[in-house]
Amino acid sequence: MKKISMFIPCLVDLVLPHIGENTATLLRHLDCEPIYHPEQTCCGLMSFNSGYRDEARRLARHFIRVFENDDLIVSPSGSCVNMVKNRYTDLFDDDPEWRKRAGDLAPRVFELSQFIVDHLGIEQLGGSCRAKVAYHESCSTLNALGVSAQPKALIRSVQGAELVELTGADICCGFGGTFANSFPEISTALVRQKADYFLDSGADLLVMCDPGCLLNIRGYLDRHHPDKKAVHIADFLADSLRGEVRAAS
Amino acid sequence: MKITTERFKQTSLEELDNIHTQKFLQILPLRLSARRNEAYESFPDPVAAHDYGHSIRDEAIQRLPELLETFEANAVANGAQVFWAEDSQAANDYIVQLARQKGVDYVTKGKSMVTEELGLNEALARAGIDAWETDLGEFITQLLHRPPFHIVGPALNIPVQQICDIFIEKGVIDSPTVDPVALGMAARQFLRDRFRDLQMGITGVNLAVAETGTVINVENEGNIRLNKSSPRILVCVMSLEKVVPTLKDAMHMLRVLCRSATGQSASAYMSLDSGPKRPDEIDGPEEMHIVILDNGRSAMYQDPQTREALRCIRCGACLNSCPVYGKVGGYPYGWAYSGPMGQVLTPALQGLRDTGDLIRACTLCHRCKNICPAGIDHPSLLLYYRAKDVAGDKTLGGSGGRWGERLVHTLFSIAGSDHRLWRIFSSIARLAANHQREGDRIRSIPIGARGWFSSRNLPALPHKRFRDRWMDLEKSKRK
Repeated sequence: MKKISMFIPCLVDLVLPHIGENTATLLRHLDCEPIYHPEQTCCGLMSFNSGYRDEARRLARHFIRVFENDDLIVSPSGSCVNMVKNRYTDLFDDDPEWRKRAGDLAPRVFELSQFIVDHLGIEQLGGSCRAKVAYHESCSTLNALGVSAQPKALIRSVQGAELVELTGADICCGFGGTFANSFPEISTALVRQKADYFLDSGADLLVMCDPGCLLNIRGYLDRHHPDKKAVHIADFLADSLRGEVRAAS
Repeated sequence: MKITTERFKQTSLEELDNIHTQKFLQILPLRLSARRNEAYESFPDPVAAHDYGHSIRDEAIQRLPELLETFEANAVANGAQVFWAEDSQAANDYIVQLARQKGVDYVTKGKSMVTEELGLNEALARAGIDAWETDLGEFITQLLHRPPFHIVGPALNIPVQQICDIFIEKGVIDSPTVDPVALGMAARQFLRDRFRDLQMGITGVNLAVAETGTVINVENEGNIRLNKSSPRILVCVMSLEKVVPTLKDAMHMLRVLCRSATGQSASAYMSLDSGPKRPDEIDGPEEMHIVILDNGRSAMYQDPQTREALRCIRCGACLNSCPVYGKVGGYPYGWAYSGPMGQVLTPALQGLRDTGDLIRACTLCHRCKNICPAGIDHPSLLLYYRAKDVAGDKTLGGSGGRWGERLVHTLFSIAGSDHRLWRIFSSIARLAANHQREGDRIRSIPIGARGWFSSRNLPALPHKRFRDRWMDLEKSKRK
């Protein structure tokens, strides 16, 4: 059985733990053995994006120490994977030792749907649901990792799931980490647009690969359209396996 | 031009409330993006064409000093006069001086962002010289005293009634009309009168070719062609990064520029000028002056990171792809260059003092990077500026960050580098957040997150973190 190290983003750890549990469920379903290092904390994305590079480096060094002996590392978050895969080397620009350690780690880190489809070569998960599903293309997942076909293939493979077209699927939801708090009016205009397109699509569920977008879109829907559901792809797929996805009535 | 970058947030709010802006933004950026993508499909290999453009700009920027010297030598050999302007003042002084010397009382202009950067119209006005913008959109914004809304279409957001009103007020038309064709024709006739006895025309430059000393302009209205060919004196103003090594390179950059800017495989007019009229030629300007503007770009070149922003060819594709531009339009960016293009150029040219919001008004969605025909990595540059800002970088004039924010990041990173401290941190975070909970959701937190809660809830933080749940599960397995 393949041992897969789970990289659980801090947001999932603290706020949305079910995404982590469902990541483990999916990996087990695919005959992998999920392992979890309880020493893990945060990859440093927020500090890095805010310009605090010394602080981000401190977190990155901790991350590397925790994960560098693992063969395969999987995370249910496109933006966190992008941080570790593509930003750590920039972060250690002036530090050859850590730059090398970061560079060695990078190719072993995968976003969850990318890992299932590209690495395991599996596009059929099984599971069923009766729902129209729209897919939100999280920016880091789509534009930085180039991951889009993989999650959509997995959604389509769920029996009874109808993947419907979403206008502006690839337009940012306005999260952007601290951006959402620093530029609330612009951020709100973007998340409102995302929610409106979702409502127009006629889908029951809006599925995505990033807990950041999820926090934003779900937070907005919860306030303004509490009957509409946004879910993480790990939750959607694991619930489908358990037969627990139902269209909102 | 008045710089208002420090008002980014206020102007954004005004634009979010402006129905004309919002109406326009719902349509045009999407349409322009779609047209750009369609036009790229006309390349035999769109990806290769995209990458080829990146390589050309990369080479041009790495060889910049040498290419500029070659360009100057060849332009001079063609009979042009080259002036190196260290800053706006030097460029404006040169042009004003030239106009005075030649006894010119008015000039016409082709649309050019670099002369917006210079504030050239204002400098000419102070010297008593009228400057007429001859691009239709730029003409309208000039009459209205507005900055350009979009680099390709400066007045795209102006409602037609407002154009009618200002045309009446300024005597461009005698009787009101909202027929766009009639308005366009009126402007054309009005400007033709300016071209007829024109002594001096001023244009920007899209590309400068080192090996031939040629300056190239692209346009769709023919006004630049008239600016370049009808006066006795032609002044072409270029920011120094516009140079490419060869004519072949320029031809490819034109292919990607036109597709990226307007979704055309070629613009309606392209003019290539290599020097003034020669003795054996029958037309063309008698004098050609090329002003090469530095204005902080040599300093940008010295830093390998900021140097990357010099790749920009001002096509505007990044504006059309940007979610933030798509909500607030061009005005909030506060200078000649808006959208992601402005966010990478303005901080390097103006420093970070008044551009703190500009470098942060980005969700790092990476669309600009992916669409850029010149290969600029905008997100990496913005992250670089943010780091320089909080580090209080001297060269760029970084603010040094706010102490409260720094404290949060320091504590967060210390907690995050030891899982025991992290555990304490997460318990405190949960207690603090959940203090305000209403059932399973949080609707507000009094300090630090007002922006978030202005439109969103947060789920209440669960009693058990993922880590705790996992450890419980492991324990129960062992039993």
